[in-house]
Amino acid sequence: MAEARKAMIKIKPKKYKVGDTVKVDFIVIHPMDTGMQKDKKTGKIKPAHYIDNITFSFEGKPFTTMKVWESVSTNPYFSVNYKITGKGKITVDYTDNQGEKNSKSKKVKPKE
Amino acid sequence: MERRKFIQSMFAATAVAAIATPTTIFAEEAKKKTAKKGPNDMTFDEAVKAITEGKEVKDSDKIKLTVPEIAENGAVVPVKVEVDYPMTEKESVTAIHILNTANGNARCADVMLTPANDKAYFATRVKLSKTQEVVALVALSDGSFIKAGKSVKVTIGGCG
Repeated sequence: MAEARKAMIKIKPKKYKVGDTVKVDFIVIHPMDTGMQKDKKTGKIKPAHYIDNITFSFEGKPFTTMKVWESVSTNPYFSVNYKITGKGKITVDYTDNQGEKNSKSKKVKPKE
Repeated sequence: MERRKFIQSMFAATAVAAIATPTTIFAEEAKKKTAKKGPNDMTFDEAVKAITEGKEVKDSDKIKLTVPEIAENGAVVPVKVEVDYPMTEKESVTAIHILNTANGNARCADVMLTPANDKAYFATRVKLSKTQEVVALVALSDGSFIKAGKSVKVTIGGCG
């Protein structure tokens, strides 16, 4: 259970300059169980397991925080805007309701 | 044999339908089920109250909510929200709340934005249990709230 989750950050468009507004997409592989579904193999109800907090930050400064509930789809996808201010790192920290903590980061390299 | 089975099953189906015709019973049962099962259930009205703390919510055309009219699979419904509102230090969109009207838990996501986002935009994918409305509730920096809603037809529900 402790294996790292697969996650991905994409910046759209790929080429950008300082001052441009880009879309930051974050996708993570996560079951997002609602706590209402039955496991097809065992017939027992699966416990709820979903991401509940996400923080987008640039160089340690959070610019977007999210609270998420189980109504979000499996393998969730979130997209927000961000204005590029310079070189650095976008980090996304996320926790789920079973106490898993993970983070993913991506370098920001604006073209001059 | 096949024909006989088919006719039998048809009769069985009509009989079941005849017994349980009042759809209200179905609806009530469905309500009870969702009310009992969910770990953190909340109805739409409660969720709105919790967010706005009783303040008035106006319908606004500043919010551009993009959802499909018909979702074949309720498990993956793309939702996109754009708000035509300045994002500066003085006045900005502080939060976008994505809500639904008929799931067990009416809250999908709360997104807190800052002026660093430059433009108020959020996109995600949500699960919808049945045909219902998706509502984007937007909190502005002056303390007021605006909203926009669109109904989505769901052919196959996405909440197991």
